[in-house]
Amino acid sequence: MKDMIVQGLQQAYQNMVRMLAEFLPRLVVMLVIILVGVLVAYGLKYLLRALLHLTKLDRLSEEAGASRMLRMAALPSMTEVLSRSVFWITVLGFVLIGISVLGVAGLQDQISRLLLLLPEIVVAIVILFLGLVIANFLSRAALLAAVNAGYASPTLLSWSIRFVIWILAISMALEELGVARQTVIAAFSIVFGALMLGLAIAFGLGGKDLARHFLERNLGDRKRGGTDEPQPL
Amino acid sequence: MAEDTFLGDDFLRQLMSVGEVDLLVAIPTFNNAETVGQTIQAIEESYQQNFIRDRVVILNVDGGSTDKTPEIVCQSDGHRGTGRGITSLRTVHRVTSKYAESPSPAKALRTVVAAADLLRAKAGAVVSPNTVNLEASWIANLLRPAYRQDFDYVAPLYVRNKYQGLLARNLLYPMARAVFGRQIREVYSDEWAFSGRLAAECLAQNIWNDEAIRARPEAWMAITGIRSNMKCCQSFLGPKVAPAPGTGPDIVEAVRQTIGNLFRCLEIYQDDWLAIDGSQAVPTFGPDHEITSAPKPAGQEKVFDLFRSGVDGLKSVLPSILGPDTYTKIQDIASLEPAKFRFPMELWVTTLYEFAAAYHRTVIARDHIVQALVPIYRGSLYSFFLEHADSSPDQIEVDSEILCGEFERQKPYLVERWKAKS
Repeated sequence: MKDMIVQGLQQAYQNMVRMLAEFLPRLVVMLVIILVGVLVAYGLKYLLRALLHLTKLDRLSEEAGASRMLRMAALPSMTEVLSRSVFWITVLGFVLIGISVLGVAGLQDQISRLLLLLPEIVVAIVILFLGLVIANFLSRAALLAAVNAGYASPTLLSWSIRFVIWILAISMALEELGVARQTVIAAFSIVFGALMLGLAIAFGLGGKDLARHFLERNLGDRKRGGTDEPQPL
Repeated sequence: MAEDTFLGDDFLRQLMSVGEVDLLVAIPTFNNAETVGQTIQAIEESYQQNFIRDRVVILNVDGGSTDKTPEIVCQSDGHRGTGRGITSLRTVHRVTSKYAESPSPAKALRTVVAAADLLRAKAGAVVSPNTVNLEASWIANLLRPAYRQDFDYVAPLYVRNKYQGLLARNLLYPMARAVFGRQIREVYSDEWAFSGRLAAECLAQNIWNDEAIRARPEAWMAITGIRSNMKCCQSFLGPKVAPAPGTGPDIVEAVRQTIGNLFRCLEIYQDDWLAIDGSQAVPTFGPDHEITSAPKPAGQEKVFDLFRSGVDGLKSVLPSILGPDTYTKIQDIASLEPAKFRFPMELWVTTLYEFAAAYHRTVIARDHIVQALVPIYRGSLYSFFLEHADSSPDQIEVDSEILCGEFERQKPYLVERWKAKS
């Protein structure tokens, strides 16, 4: 009986030692991978930050109104947001790879799925952010044109444009994630709206002055009733 | 040379056949077939009466006219010899260039300046075919200071009625004067003159494609001359006739073109103007400008409606441009009864300076900042209508000078806001 217990304990001890002997190198490998990942992430962060400074992204972001939204959300500048995002995504990627090296049963499938989903999450976030920026810019442009033309409901027009672009951006982000595909299919019914939006953007960017004149002449005069403002120059 | 890259071969051939000239008068056109003949006639008469021994050229830069304007320029007889029996001793050359398929003030002026540089013109003038009362004396009044007295920039002075050119009188002139320190009334003008030196200085700069400069490049050239300490003056021309309805820019377009241009010039030349204090008068040739009486313009109440609805409609935009105090004051005056409405001068100046600083900081898209000024300007316009309904031209002149003083007094505030950029 005593021998059996001792033998069992020895067996357990040997198993534990064997497992530790197998696990410790993997743990070291995982830690090395994570360490390398952090270094790579830092490198990418500084490289991206330098590139974005060169391309004056912050200036573009200010002009598009994106920086203002970031400030409202208590976030740093666009360059900082993007470079930090790249840092954390890289670190996360390396951590997941490191964990997979441990060989814990069942965990590897989940990690693989997460790794596969990671780029899609990033793309979805980018889509949402761009949608927010474009919606903000175009709705403000419409608001200013409508206000200066004396249009009766400028805020309604502005919010309508903002809302349509938000819907489009959210639908695109969900489709990217593969979530609620039914919703996306249903949202396909607003493709006409999306088409009109595309035309509006093309018209707005390609012929913004023409668009403004059109708004002022066709909508502005309705309320103004022929205001005879003196020649300003 | 840089100009080789954007001047067409045919145009260069025409310029080479002309050779060097002393004087150049340019007419930017776009579908001006009805009036351009009259403009050519005034220029030729001026050459024949005032510059008979000098080598001269008339330059037409066309923005894609479809009504044969360039052909009319070339064919126009010019009534040679009608100028009091005096005929020019030299050929009056005419050169035309189609610089683009659609009008572009910057491309047109760049072509003019490049031509002046290639022809080594000592002085050049730009006149508009839309100015229906252009006279030969106007051309001479513009060219003489640049040609005979070494001035580099000659601005026009006009006779205007009291409701004419209010954007220039209540905003552009006082603000440009306070910022750049020179008392030049008509920096944004259709008629003006420049020296070969100023042409060369501007041609060398790579800013012609800047969006805010493109619409009013003549003002940028004037401000370039001022900040380069070149000799500037004003020359009296005559009465400024308002363009026919629908031909000139409306308020929104005029504000976008001129204020956007002024704010951009503030930024380009910030190293030069931040330290300037006060303003200096510039030499004036002929009588000073003149303001005449005029009947009240119609639709004044609509202007106030547009101010009030604009302030209300832009409540999501204005707080990001204006300081909290200024925005509150604007809201307060927007709630006044139309008859009791006044836009205080101090508030008007503070508002403009805050807009300029917001433009510098790019708190939102720059064109949006400029457009957001339109309703505010309408408020100031309505206030002017009420305050000066019965004012004499002299009283308006006095008030205009007080406004200029206020702009100069508050300039340290502009500098403070400007430098506050993080």
